Order: sequence, then structure tokens, then C-alpha cells
Amino acid sequence: MRTLWRVRELSTVAILVLEIAFFTWYLWPAGGRSHPFLNAANGLLVLKYSSIYGIAAVGAAIVIICGGIDLAPGAIIALSGVVAGGLFVDGHWGLASSAAAGLLAAMACGLLSAALIVLVGLPPFIATLGVMGIGRGVAFIITEGRYFDVSGALPPGWRLAGIPLDWTSPILMIGLALAFQILMTRFQWGRAVFAIGGNAVAARFSGVSVGLVQASVYLVSAALAGVSGIALTVVQGQGKADLAMGYELDIIASAVVGGASLSGGRGSVVGAVLGTLIFGVLRNALPQVPGATFYDRLIVGLVVIVIVVMDQLLQRRKGASS
Amino acid sequence: MQAVAFEHIDKSFGAVAALRDVTFAVAAGESHAIVGENGAGKSTLLNILAGSLRPDRGQVTLGGTPVTLASPRDALARGIGLVHQEMLAFPNLSATANIFAGREITGRFGWLRESEMRARASDLLARLQLPISPDASVESLPVAHRQLLQVARALAFDCRLLALDEPTTSLTAAETDHLFRVLGDLMRAGVTIVYVSHRLPDVFRLCDRITVLRDGRLVETFARDAVSHDEIVRAMVGRSIPQRAPAPPPGAAGEPRLRVSGLTRRPCFEDVSLAIAPGEIVGLFGLVGSGRSELLETLVGVQSADRGSIAIDGRPVLARSPRASARAGVVLVPEDRQRQGLCFNLSLRHNLALPAAATRGTLLVRDAEIDDSEALVRDWRIAAPSTAITPDSLSGGNQQKIVLAKWLALGPRVLLLDEPTKGVDVAAKYDIHGIVLELAARGTAVLLVSSDLPEVLALADRVLVMREGRLQGELTAGADEESVMRLATAPLSVRGVRLPFDGAQGRQGDGGTAS
Repeated sequence: MRTLWRVRELSTVAILVLEIAFFTWYLWPAGGRSHPFLNAANGLLVLKYSSIYGIAAVGAAIVIICGGIDLAPGAIIALSGVVAGGLFVDGHWGLASSAAAGLLAAMACGLLSAALIVLVGLPPFIATLGVMGIGRGVAFIITEGRYFDVSGALPPGWRLAGIPLDWTSPILMIGLALAFQILMTRFQWGRAVFAIGGNAVAARFSGVSVGLVQASVYLVSAALAGVSGIALTVVQGQGKADLAMGYELDIIASAVVGGASLSGGRGSVVGAVLGTLIFGVLRNALPQVPGATFYDRLIVGLVVIVIVVMDQLLQRRKGASS
Repeated sequence: MQAVAFEHIDKSFGAVAALRDVTFAVAAGESHAIVGENGAGKSTLLNILAGSLRPDRGQVTLGGTPVTLASPRDALARGIGLVHQEMLAFPNLSATANIFAGREITGRFGWLRESEMRARASDLLARLQLPISPDASVESLPVAHRQLLQVARALAFDCRLLALDEPTTSLTAAETDHLFRVLGDLMRAGVTIVYVSHRLPDVFRLCDRITVLRDGRLVETFARDAVSHDEIVRAMVGRSIPQRAPAPPPGAAGEPRLRVSGLTRRPCFEDVSLAIAPGEIVGLFGLVGSGRSELLETLVGVQSADRGSIAIDGRPVLARSPRASARAGVVLVPEDRQRQGLCFNLSLRHNLALPAAATRGTLLVRDAEIDDSEALVRDWRIAAPSTAITPDSLSGGNQQKIVLAKWLALGPRVLLLDEPTKGVDVAAKYDIHGIVLELAARGTAVLLVSSDLPEVLALADRVLVMREGRLQGELTAGADEESVMRLATAPLSVRGVRLPFDGAQGRQGDGGTAS
């Protein structure tokens, strides 16, 4: 089983490498000028913007593996950014306490989703759709159309623990991805998440506290979206209510491209992060392709379908041969 | 010494009493069978033992101490392991993860001690003589091995009492032998076994004592050595036949209305041939898992056959889809009206109009639809205040009549009925029998599948008995229940020709280790 996952993640890495190779070749500059795509600064740019999706995709993957779905991350990213930014800029709170408040706001959303799903028994799609509206709505009410200029309020040259600002969120993403990968594969909690996604009835019969684990999964997803929102606010330098519009679908798509099955029980955290990098590279490189400007959404859509269909064909062949 | 005792257990689901005042005890170290017809209450009793159902009344005692089994987890903690009839496994996890699911061996903060669990799993698999790797993904395993994994799971938690619910229904003869060898070893190690089955040969082979349930009541507990196969059958079916036995319609000579030749769909049924004359009612009796529902589904094209042919009035038809079959005059009233029979979001009128509209391609015309549906409700004496209501406000019996009526609107030549009176009250059952007889009198050929043996014997002109995917024999009207039950449960004369259920996978799994 473990080998199977490793193989699945390797294929995501392979797609990423192929993609990078393609754009490197396609955008190869004439006459010895520096490469517009393949250079360190651009690489950091891709990582920086992908990490906003990537941190939230860790949570999305866990929810999907557990057999659920979370539509709230985009709204929670905006809400936590606005709460943290508002307290930091207007409220003159400290950076750490503002960030903590943003995270708490995110987790409140997660608790609401969890309560609606586990206690009320709403389908996850509906519950998180509602929370998505609530989160976004509260963000708009807080800002009243303003935005909080976080970069202006930060001391010039500020860095977190000596790490350059641009590096902060990629490092956070990698750290969280590894931590949750270990939690999902090496700890009882992760095993319970996989078990519930595989067969919730059997999990209950096996003595897994299904409701508790499901609740924890939505809480984790919301908290990670909160971290992502705070990171986005710091990286972009402003807290706005209309940040991260529609991110939830990109985040779910990343998790699926990274091997998560929407029927539950399958997928990996690292795969989801690799999935966000696949989309990050696309979003970065496509605008540099002459004439591709209006095609990028179309291409992103096609990529999702092609990768998932390929994966299913491979799975089916594996199923037939075993 | 008692391992477990049931004292005055009552359990009802809505108006249906599944268990009524059931009292008996299982001695420590014995293997105790619970047998009965479908719906006798066997699975309900087992679910109470496994903590997934709570009795309405009565007491379960373990080793003499009264206990409340609040959850499956609770039962497991008290040493009761249940091997479910359905395959309760995690297809996405490894064999080891399946064995320890919910009760993993962990270190600090829930860190999984993988190597320890893997080693324990290897030991257990070796003890069960299962040639599979502890890392094997369970979805790649044959059904039999998944079932034995559940046994391994119970052993991993040191269960002193192992309850098995119909464990052999999907196993081949060799796999059954394997399971019984393992169970024999466990019994020698002092494990108490509660074995629920309707397969009497298995029961006689394994169990020391046999408790018979019928209609939710305990009939008697027999010692194996003091009872015969026939006595058990008599105890299982011994109930009164409904008073008004309807007169059989006249048999007809000439071309049969429905002729089925050599129909095969592996692994469900094999080489089924039968013919039904116009106006004839043929009963098809078999226990759950005998392949009877699958046969009906194949006849109307829900599933496609591997081999064989179907002819209506001598003209061959291809059962490609229920729609094509309905056009050819073959309709199925399915077993599960909640899931397969009715659309609960639609009004009675729309439900009734659905087959006609779909098969004839008529556009829904409001007035005609209202007239037709109201005529159907009137003709078939369905107690519905209006045809504009949805089916959920009707009783089970009237819902079932709606399912019948929606197909009868097409004027079918062949009517296939799958458990037409399951879960309906006595009055509705009587009405439904009346409808079936009336149709037969008009020349419709009826194939009736039912687990309700008195019903089959009362309605049918002939009874075909199906067991393990093959027709085992034919009995004429007036056959007694015991002879039917004997055909449905007796082992085949030649053990070797047993149909390998789930065969392809099963054989493969026996051979080598899955990776």
C-alpha cells in the first residue's frame, strides 16, 4: 500500500517535471538572453504564490481523503487575512496576536462546518457552501470595502525569524505538508481518516470515533486556510475581503490532481501540494506564452481532466492485471 | 458455564417485530448455530450481540453478568467479535491496517507501531493459513480472504466469542473448508462460536447445538446429535398456510409465453432453462444469494447475460435494457420498492405514468395522464386520497400496489415479481395475490420469486427451486414446504460441481501471495 502511494506521488512529480521541461523548451530565449521562465527569481515567485494554495490544499486533501469536501477555504483565507490585517493595522495589535486572532476566526469557521456536518447531519457540500458565504460575508462587513495596508504598517525590512519575506510562505507550506504527511501515514488519527474515507460504516463498526475525526478534519482544513490567509496578507501586503475568490475550486482541483479521490479513502497531502505546484507553474508560464492570454483558464480546465482521466486509466489497468 | 445468554429479548423496527421474547443461552466453548428462514430475526439477534442494535426489552448476559452492549466498540472490548455478512472492510487499506482498524497499536500521541502490527498481522495470517502478505491491499483480495481478515481482526483483540453471520454465502467449497478448519482450531483453543446461517449442511458440520428462530420467535434449541436435517427444516418453516388457497389457473398447451434457454451470467447463475405458458404462475424459490434476483434482472436487461436466449411467444428477444424488454412485453416488479420501485420525489401520477411514457415514447399529456393514473388506482383498489400525492404517505402495501400498477398499465405479457409481498401487511398481501391471479387469468405468464414459502405454494402452479445459481428441481402445485426447503438447502449430490461464487478471483487468491 505504501509503495502504491509513493508511485502515485512520483507520477505527480513526473507531470510537474515534464511541465517545467516543456515551458523551459517552449520559452527558450533567442540569442543568449536570460531565460524568462527558468530562473531562480521566477522559481521563487511560483513557490510564493503556489504556497497560498498549497497550505490550504493540505487541508483540502485531508478532508477529501476522509470522504468529505470543503468549499470554505477561499472565504476563510480572506476572513483570516482581514481579521489579522485589521487588528494589526487599525487595532495596532502586535503581529503575533493579530495572526493568532486571524487563525481563531478561521477555526471558528471550521468548528461551524464541523458542527453542521457532524451534529446537524448536513451534507459537507451544503454545510461548507454556507460557511463559505458566512466567512466571506463577515470579511466584507469587517472591511466595509476598505483594505488594510499591512505592508505599510510592517517595519521596513521586516523578516520572520530571519527568513526573507518571500521565503516565509513556501517554507511554511513545505513544513506543514511534511508534518501532515507524517500525521496522515504514521499516526492513528491519519489512519482513522483513511478508514472513514474508505468505508465509514466499517469504521464505526471498528470502533473509530467517526464524528470526532470528521469534526477534526474540517477544523484542520479551516485552520490551514487561516494560516494561508495570514501568509497571503503578509506576502501581498494587504488584507482585503475579496482576496482568494474562487480559490476553493483550484485547491480541490490540486488535491485531486495530486491523487486524492473524491469518493474518499485515497490521496496524499504531499500529492496535493505537488498539484498546486503544477497549477502554479501553469499560471506563471502561460501569460509568457505569446497569444495564450485568453486560453489560460481553458488550459487549466483541460489539464485537470487529462490528469485525472490518465490516473483512472492507470488504476483500471492495475486493477485488471492484479 | 454460559458464554452468553439472551433473556426475553424484544426488538421491533416500526410496526415489524423482528424478535419477540427470545430466550436462550450459548455455553462457553460450544459452537452454537442460529438458523431460520429469511426474516426470522437471525441477523437482528446477532446485531444485538455485536452492540450495533439495542434490544427494546430484555437482557443480554455475558458469563452470567448482565451487560449493556452500547456500541460495536463496547462489544469488541468485552471480547465479542463479529464477522459480518456484508464485507465490512476498508478496500483502500492494507491487510494489516484492516485487522487493526480502530484499535491500532500505538505509541505516544497515537504514533502507529507499524512494525509491531505488521508482525502480529503476519502471525495471525499464518495462524489462519492465509497466504497473503500483511501489506496486501485489501481491494486486491478475494472475498473469502476478506472474510477471514475479519476473523483475524477478532483474534487480534483476543475475542472469546466469535459471531459469524452467513459467512459462507460467497465462498467456494474449498474456501468454506478452509474457514471451517480455522473455526475448528479456534474451538479447540476454547473460543465460543455463534454461527448464523441458513445452510443446514454447514450448520450440521460445525455446530454442537442449533437454535431455530421463526418469525422472530424462538422455536427450540436442539442438540445436533439428537436432531435430523428434516426436523430442523420442519421447525424453520412450520407455520400455517394462508386459509384461502387460490385456485390455480388452467394450464395451457402450445407455445410457451416465455422460454429461457441456457441463460448464464457468472458468477450469479448458470445454465437456467425454463418455460412458462400463458396464464401460468411459476414460483421460483431460493434463499438469499441463490441467484434468483439476478436471474430476473437479467431477464429484463438490467444486467446482460453471458450466454443463453430468451423468447417471448416463440420470438427471440434481446434483453438489452429494461426499456427494450418492456416493449417486448416483459416487466419486472423489483424487490426493493424504496430503492428500485418508486421515485419518492414524484407524485403517484408521475410514478404511474413513467413506464408508459418511457417505453412508448409518449410525451406526457396532463389530462390523459391524470385519467390513466386514476383509472389504475381505482382498478387495483389502491387506497390513495389523490394521485397528486407522493408515495411516502402511503402504507407499504399500497406503495407496492403502485409499483405493480405502473407496470400493469403496459399490459405485460410476462410479469416477473421479486418478493412482491415483502414487508406488506396481510390485507395488502391478499390484494396483491388477487391482482396476480387476475393477470394470470387474462393470459399473462408470471414468474414469482419469493422467500415466503407458503405464498409460493399457494399461488404457483409449479415451483422451481434455485440454489447456488442453478435450478435444482421442479415441484408441482401442492408440494409441501419441507420438500421445497430440502431442495433449497440440501447439498448437491456431487460436491465438485458447486458453482464457484466469485470463482475467478477466489481461485487466483488461493494460489499465490498477493503483493
